[in-house]
Amino acid sequence: MENLIEIKNLTKKYGDLKAVDNISLSVEEGQLFGLLGPNGSGKTTMIKLMTGQLKPTEGNINVMGTDVLAHSVEVRELVGIIPEQETPPSFLTAEEYLHFVANIRKLDEIEARCNKWFDLLDFRNEKEVLCKDLSRGTRQKIMFAQAFIHEPKLAFIDEPLINLDPVIQKKVKDYLAEFVKNKGTIFLSTHVLQIAEEICTKIGIIYKGNIIHEGSIKELQEKNQHLEDFFLKLVKEKNK
Amino acid sequence: MFELLKNMIKEEWRIYASFFGNVNFALFSFMMVLLSFGASLFIPVFQILMPLEQIALIVHYMFVLFGLSTGAFGLFGREVMNRRFGQASLLAYSSRSLPVSERKIFLNFFIKDIIYYFFLWILPFITGYFLASKIFSINAGSALLLLLTTTLSFMIGLSVAFFLSTIYVHSKKLLYVIIFFSAAVLLTASNHTVLGFFELLPSFSFFFHPSVDNLISSLFIIIILSAISVFFLKIDYPQNKRKFKNSFKSLSIRLKSSKYNYFISKDILDLNRSEGGIGKIIFSFLFPMAIIWVFILIFSKFIPELNFLIVFSIFLGIISSTIYNWLTEYDLFNSYSFLPVRVSTLIKSKVDGYMLINIVPLILLILVSLGTKQYAYFFSALFCFLSISLYSLSINIYLAGLHPNIMLCNPWTLLKYLFSIFPILLILIFMSIINHIYLIISLVLIPVSFYIIKAGCKKWDNKKQISF
Ligand SMILES: Nc1ncnc2c1ncn2[C@@H]1O[C@H](COP(=O)(O)OP(=O)(O)O)[C@@H](O)[C@H]1O
Ligand SMILES: [Mg+2]
Repeated sequence: MENLIEIKNLTKKYGDLKAVDNISLSVEEGQLFGLLGPNGSGKTTMIKLMTGQLKPTEGNINVMGTDVLAHSVEVRELVGIIPEQETPPSFLTAEEYLHFVANIRKLDEIEARCNKWFDLLDFRNEKEVLCKDLSRGTRQKIMFAQAFIHEPKLAFIDEPLINLDPVIQKKVKDYLAEFVKNKGTIFLSTHVLQIAEEICTKIGIIYKGNIIHEGSIKELQEKNQHLEDFFLKLVKEKNK
Repeated sequence: MFELLKNMIKEEWRIYASFFGNVNFALFSFMMVLLSFGASLFIPVFQILMPLEQIALIVHYMFVLFGLSTGAFGLFGREVMNRRFGQASLLAYSSRSLPVSERKIFLNFFIKDIIYYFFLWILPFITGYFLASKIFSINAGSALLLLLTTTLSFMIGLSVAFFLSTIYVHSKKLLYVIIFFSAAVLLTASNHTVLGFFELLPSFSFFFHPSVDNLISSLFIIIILSAISVFFLKIDYPQNKRKFKNSFKSLSIRLKSSKYNYFISKDILDLNRSEGGIGKIIFSFLFPMAIIWVFILIFSKFIPELNFLIVFSIFLGIISSTIYNWLTEYDLFNSYSFLPVRVSTLIKSKVDGYMLINIVPLILLILVSLGTKQYAYFFSALFCFLSISLYSLSINIYLAGLHPNIMLCNPWTLLKYLFSIFPILLILIFMSIINHIYLIISLVLIPVSFYIIKAGCKKWDNKKQISF
């Protein structure tokens, strides 16, 4: 199968700190790849590098056949991104924000696209409320909708599902599973291992800017090993 | 009480220092000393043109203006800060999470502003004058006295801004009445060249007649206005979820003559729905113009060759470029960085929005030319306004990109800004003295500005954006 993401010898330094340290990685089409690691291990930095929001210190990144360094805007036209921290602008309503993003992405049939997401994530009642007055959960729903509104083939999700109630979490997980089934590809980062165990097809464990393990979830399940125990063991070994 | 104040000051320092480093930040005060030292050397030259009293009057109104703009930013900047630093990260806005009343926080905020700007601006400014007066024995009054009276002027400006914004929050109509009344006073004064009215500023009178009366009336104004502001303080945190029909769509259709209609529509909705709204434009724009009006009146009394409308239009152009600062304050590139948006796209959208809002100063220019009956000069003034407005915008964009308010606090950037604008300004004023018809040449600035904007876009696309 085709590699949608190809990373070679990627390094990102913040001053002396190597947030990403010589990482090479590839993600195939149709995978739900989970980048797991404790806080501060470099997950957000990785996603920002892959989507051209940060410039690497060294290394190459190719996403969907496009060189990210040379064509960062083009890459962001293709993919969808749910950032870790950003929330929709305060003074637009949910509906207006989705219109805004659709305009940036030069989409048509905007209303139909919006309606789909109002129903799917169940926030039609709040579409006319200013984003600043919305709960965190609803704002996250909007960010989710914004990332998928152009029906991308590949989406990056930084720390998904936090702030969402169990009902919506279930819906989102189902959506992602369906998305991957239809040949979509997801790259998500999380420090919540349970999420990874439930939905990812493949995982990479990142620790202090290094990938310390890569493999499929199946492998672990076959060895009858819990992700959490495995993870803690790896981190302990590294700390020695 | 003091703990809160201390933390606020620390926080302000931290915010700025984290952008430029402690050294550059301290350098700012040093540059103020140098600037005012240099300016003070010209006092004897100015004294040939006009009496010392008029120079002092201008200086004192400069500090009133400074207080007004500081106060306006302090208040309307709240939403801006919230967005920029995240909810509750700023002490002043975290009253809901701290066991302190909003009044107390506001009062601390007021005191913090005074202390902060005193050390950052006023003290260095007067020090420059002090050094010049000692070294070159220029005598224009005691530096210590000047320190007191300029500080008082600053505080008067600050409390007027707070007072007016308090009125604005309670009754917009009342504020419009006040603005209308002030405009009428200005117009009358300019038609009759009555300056006596402006000399009533008590902190100014105190400089020449240091009497207890003048001191008390200065303090009285400050205390009364700020007490009213604190007492009637209303911080609006609407509890109910207000709903809005999708106005974005219709707005962007109406604006579709711009390629960036969706960005402009978003900015308009931002401005409309957030605190202040038009208040921001009034504060950042009409009030400075009113004070500059006074300056021009003073100058043209002693340099009769100066045409009021022309000089007014030139300054109108410069002050208009602060509209760009407001437009960019409301946005942070971070909120687009995950979308397919270039920095230059955002800048260009701001340029389009800027042109649109420039209709307001344009209307002002038309009203002023009608009010002052200087029809013959109208077109020269119009050219000056358009070209200077666009030119200062382009310099702003080139030097500061999407962060004019922050970048211009960097002493080097500020210096470059001043050196790019002032010579042009002087040349235009000089040409207007020879014959205002020559001002048609100012239109050359328009293509130059577009070129600079283009270069600026390229420059900022290649730079990493400041993140907070
Ligand atoms: N802009 C920055 N400047 C300096 N250091 C940073 C910056 N962003 C992140 N870091 C550091 O890089 C490391 C990785 O951060 P991050 O990618 O956000 O981790 P994660 O998303 O896994 O929690 C952390 O040690 C963090 O402190
Ligand atoms: Mg992170």
